[in-house]
Amino acid sequence: MEYAISNILFYILALLAIIFACNVLRSSNPVTSAMSMAVCFAFTAAILFGLGAQFLGIVQLLVYAGAILVLFLFVVMMLDVKAEERKTSRFATALTGAVIAGVLAGMIANLAINLPGAKNGSCPVKALCCDEASAACCIDPKAAAAQAEAPENFGGPLAVVNPSASDNDATAIAGTLYTSYNIQFVILSFALLAATVGAVALARKIRKD
Amino acid sequence: MIDCICNFWNDLMSNETWFYLITTLIKLVLMFAVILAFVVLSVWIERRVAGWIQDRPGPNRAGIPLFLLERFGSKEKQPLKKVLAFFGIPETSCLAKLLTWLRLDREVPTFGLIQPCLDGGKLFLKQEVTPSYVRRAYFIIAPMLVLGPPLVSAAVIPFASEVNTCYGAVNMSIANLGIGPLWIFAISGLSVYGLTLAGWSSNSKYPFLGGLRATAQLISYEVAMGLSIIPLLMMFSTLNLQDIVQYQAADGWTLLPLWGDGLSLERWVLLIPMLISFIVFVTCVFAEANRTPFDMAECETDLVGGYHTEYSSMKFASFFMGEYAAMVIGSALVVTLFLGGWSIGFGLDESLAAYSEWLAVICQFIVFLIKLLAFIFFFVWVRWTLPRFRWDQVMRLGWLVFLEITIANIFLTAAIMYFIK
Repeated sequence: MEYAISNILFYILALLAIIFACNVLRSSNPVTSAMSMAVCFAFTAAILFGLGAQFLGIVQLLVYAGAILVLFLFVVMMLDVKAEERKTSRFATALTGAVIAGVLAGMIANLAINLPGAKNGSCPVKALCCDEASAACCIDPKAAAAQAEAPENFGGPLAVVNPSASDNDATAIAGTLYTSYNIQFVILSFALLAATVGAVALARKIRKD
Repeated sequence: MIDCICNFWNDLMSNETWFYLITTLIKLVLMFAVILAFVVLSVWIERRVAGWIQDRPGPNRAGIPLFLLERFGSKEKQPLKKVLAFFGIPETSCLAKLLTWLRLDREVPTFGLIQPCLDGGKLFLKQEVTPSYVRRAYFIIAPMLVLGPPLVSAAVIPFASEVNTCYGAVNMSIANLGIGPLWIFAISGLSVYGLTLAGWSSNSKYPFLGGLRATAQLISYEVAMGLSIIPLLMMFSTLNLQDIVQYQAADGWTLLPLWGDGLSLERWVLLIPMLISFIVFVTCVFAEANRTPFDMAECETDLVGGYHTEYSSMKFASFFMGEYAAMVIGSALVVTLFLGGWSIGFGLDESLAAYSEWLAVICQFIVFLIKLLAFIFFFVWVRWTLPRFRWDQVMRLGWLVFLEITIANIFLTAAIMYFIK
């Protein structure tokens, strides 16, 4: 029963997300594209919420929909929308896009097939969610142990509906990020720092005196 | 028949899902009503306090005039005189003079509270003009996108502690999520779409500039806002707002550690970073709510009316309702994080809860509302005291002052927590 409800929700949200993602490509008005993308992000966040990954969902909203896409919109609004609407896509551009999309789709399909629990016929929600069966491979053993000790680990797909859902989502991510993947995290941070410094250097006015 | 209904109700409430749905629905309606009432109330407070600060009467004369009685057929021209005569009080007495001074001979006094109702009525009845050159779909969506997010973000704010009913415990926040403040930041951050789209879809240069300013300002201050509460989260070591308030109820408010564990040396030294956090956070809340001194997006001296120049009637009003709702939610968040939320303080929560849980919850709810009102008063006070910033000053304050201060503050808190035990 529980899984039935959350499954229906998952499929509805996923369908809406895909529809809006298609709208990003279909629409000739760049502002509509950007807004569709924001809505698509919102639905993705809703799916994450449904899986009980509240922290991930909210970060999706906060970072992508709340900040990055607004900056997108900021730039897009400066464009001449009428001129953009008249443009037609060239064949080469479309082909390049299709190839990149195909490669990405292949990667995601490969990942999905190799996910733990995907082969024994469980629902996609269950496969993605870190329940007891797949806890060990989703997060590292220590965090998994912490999860198991918590009174209600992750709360499963019904976490949002469950009043006593635990908030260990953020803790689990932090545990994984700062213990097993610490070096990667630091390297990524440095890459971002370099990008920031580069942006500042580009934006700086050069004095000619 | 009644037995049947009672049994049905019992069965319904014994089912965990239905119990949860029904209690959530009740809390939802309550919270929604509180916020909308506070939106109206804060408009009224704004006008009264503005009048008070500028030394003028303000809208305190919008009472219910007594000539309405005459209109509806009453022959009594001076009801006050008749009441005085009934009680046998002479018209020259102090009491009679006081009552006359209170304008009781002319109207039923409401302290100007009729004013918001009249405002609302007026805005509903006004002609709605949609200019022909706007991008219609976005023009209509924009006010909704401004008003909606603050109402949604209220979901995680706890307005009282827990209650054990015979069917199960009820947590007095609509959604007891483990990501409390982040939820509010994320959802209320979405209202920036409303401002941007309003500016863009108006297809006119001043609204567009207003929309761009709003975007830049909101995004800039979101960074400092998020960083400024990290010292608090380090101290509480949880993101759950209900837990944060419970901690404060037991061990002293963040800014008033006078009972429980709050009397330790660590908490008192931690007051320094907490105070810095408080100042930065409150300023950022001002900026996020688009209030003076940060109302660059609707600065009428350089932008006519900013992003809502082309709007009229209820669409215009919903922008302002959104602004006031954001102000109410911002105040609620400040109160929750820094001033103890619903907690009555001084250990009174526990003793009241031991006496009667329902009494405790009702008292806590009232205390929460009082704190909220006090903070809204502070908001208005600042608005009518400080002049507006210049645009470059706003940006410099956000990026060059607050960002650095908040990052230094995080390290300071960490050092204090490490060295002072």
